[in-house]
Amino acid sequence: MAAEFAIFFLFAAIAVIFALVVVLHRNPVVGALSLVASFFALAVMYVLLDAPFLAALQVIVYAGAIMVLFLFVIMLLNLQRAPEPPTRPIQQFLGYTSSAFFGIGLVYFIVKYAVTGAPTGQFRATAYDIGVRMFEAYIFPFEMVSILLLASIVGALLLSGRSGAGSRARIGDEVTK
Amino acid sequence: MAFDLTDILLSVLKIAIILGIWLNITPIMVWVERRGSALIQDRPGPNRVGPFGLLQSFADALKFIMKEDIVPAQAHRWLYTLAPTFGLFPALTTIAVVPWGRGFLIPEMTVFGRRLFEGGRWFEPVIADVSAGILVVFALASLSVYGITIAGWASSNKYSMFGAIRASAQMISYELALTLAAVSVLLAAGSLKLTDVVAYQTGYFVLFDAVKLPAWNIFSPAMWLSFLVFSISGFAETNRLPFDFAEAEAELVAGYHTEYSSMKFALFFMAEYMAMGTMAALVTTLYLGGWDIPWYNEPATFLGFLLSFLAFLAKWSFLMFVFVWVRWTIPRLKYDILMRIGWKFFLPLAIVNIVIVAAFIAARWI
Repeated sequence: MAAEFAIFFLFAAIAVIFALVVVLHRNPVVGALSLVASFFALAVMYVLLDAPFLAALQVIVYAGAIMVLFLFVIMLLNLQRAPEPPTRPIQQFLGYTSSAFFGIGLVYFIVKYAVTGAPTGQFRATAYDIGVRMFEAYIFPFEMVSILLLASIVGALLLSGRSGAGSRARIGDEVTK
Repeated sequence: MAFDLTDILLSVLKIAIILGIWLNITPIMVWVERRGSALIQDRPGPNRVGPFGLLQSFADALKFIMKEDIVPAQAHRWLYTLAPTFGLFPALTTIAVVPWGRGFLIPEMTVFGRRLFEGGRWFEPVIADVSAGILVVFALASLSVYGITIAGWASSNKYSMFGAIRASAQMISYELALTLAAVSVLLAAGSLKLTDVVAYQTGYFVLFDAVKLPAWNIFSPAMWLSFLVFSISGFAETNRLPFDFAEAEAELVAGYHTEYSSMKFALFFMAEYMAMGTMAALVTTLYLGGWDIPWYNEPATFLGFLLSFLAFLAKWSFLMFVFVWVRWTIPRLKYDILMRIGWKFFLPLAIVNIVIVAAFIAARWI
């Protein structure tokens, strides 16, 4: 157990430190990479909870797919370090206090509902268990989410496509012209 | 989780064996690549350093170490230095879940008056046989794109940047086809563990009550599409010709590692060959029966382990040669063709194959 505690605190510290870097660092690329490191540390938590399947999914989906796209966009936009617009002291004060209240509230509710009321018994998160749940009990919400995502992709394509027939650029046009 | 010293030492031994092989892939493959290309292009190739130029790789390694290590003035110093390690880390770790031989029982023995392996101990030749199995490979491999992306961005060079963008777009696209193609195999084997996938392939297909074929997935008609998609996507995923747009030297100087020199460049080089090695090991495990020797029932002894390990090495080496063979035979494609193949052919084909395998399972043919 001692080894598990040591690993937990090491990776919890890594997750928290990198999460702070995401917020505090000025360079967006460093921020995005720190988020990847934080996700990775979180995946270690899943392994400690005996759920390697969830850990693998966490890394594949968040670190491997979503953050790559974020990084991609940040690098393509080539964000320059813009001078910070001057802020009023009252805005800073409100920002700090509201986030502090939000944080305290979050901790309060987590302690109240999750930690004290954690279910006892065997925790099972294998591919089989998750698959059966997802495709039997939760098939309707699962399919609804996929339709919602599809609709948002189609909507984004519609909005980004240039209007007017025949003016839409195709991949490879600049080569053939 | 109770460990005793014997378990830990056996794990260390496995890691040492695999790491030893893995770190030596690059020098050996550089030699194979150069001699192989010479063979294909009908010229002698390196033949001055050692017999058949075998020591050429050591000369190359020495050269890498002696070279000046340059960091461009405009580069992001931290990320520029870290990028090669981002690339190397997934390449080194993914092989841990691939089984490389038949498990065997270590008999109880007495060495120097001490009893070792009391009551016998099972030795499974895989470093980590986790239940998430192949997902661990895909998870870690999906991180390898960061090495290339960060290298391209941190170099502050437009060629590097183009190489990085191409590479990441390509790797994200082909990852989908690769994963979906592997789903067919996992569906048939009914497990994510690669040891189970190999065990599933150890039997026989009997044709017309006469011919016995090994039950490797490549011999099953349900897997042909999946094999095709997986192996070709493997080339794209490891950035090898005909899909090496990350470094397309005719257009991008050297792509994402244009600015890198000395050992930092060598690390990218090693990562590329190790990724190739992992891909060859995966194709062997998923489609070519892993360590299975056709028409031979390996006993669960040390001899059986050794023979099966050699069989795995033989299949794996052949696939590694195929990588070289293809590189020097097929010219580079165009980038838009690459993307079109990935999204419009391979992805649908992989999904079609999942349906085919599901139909085969429903009909109880496999």
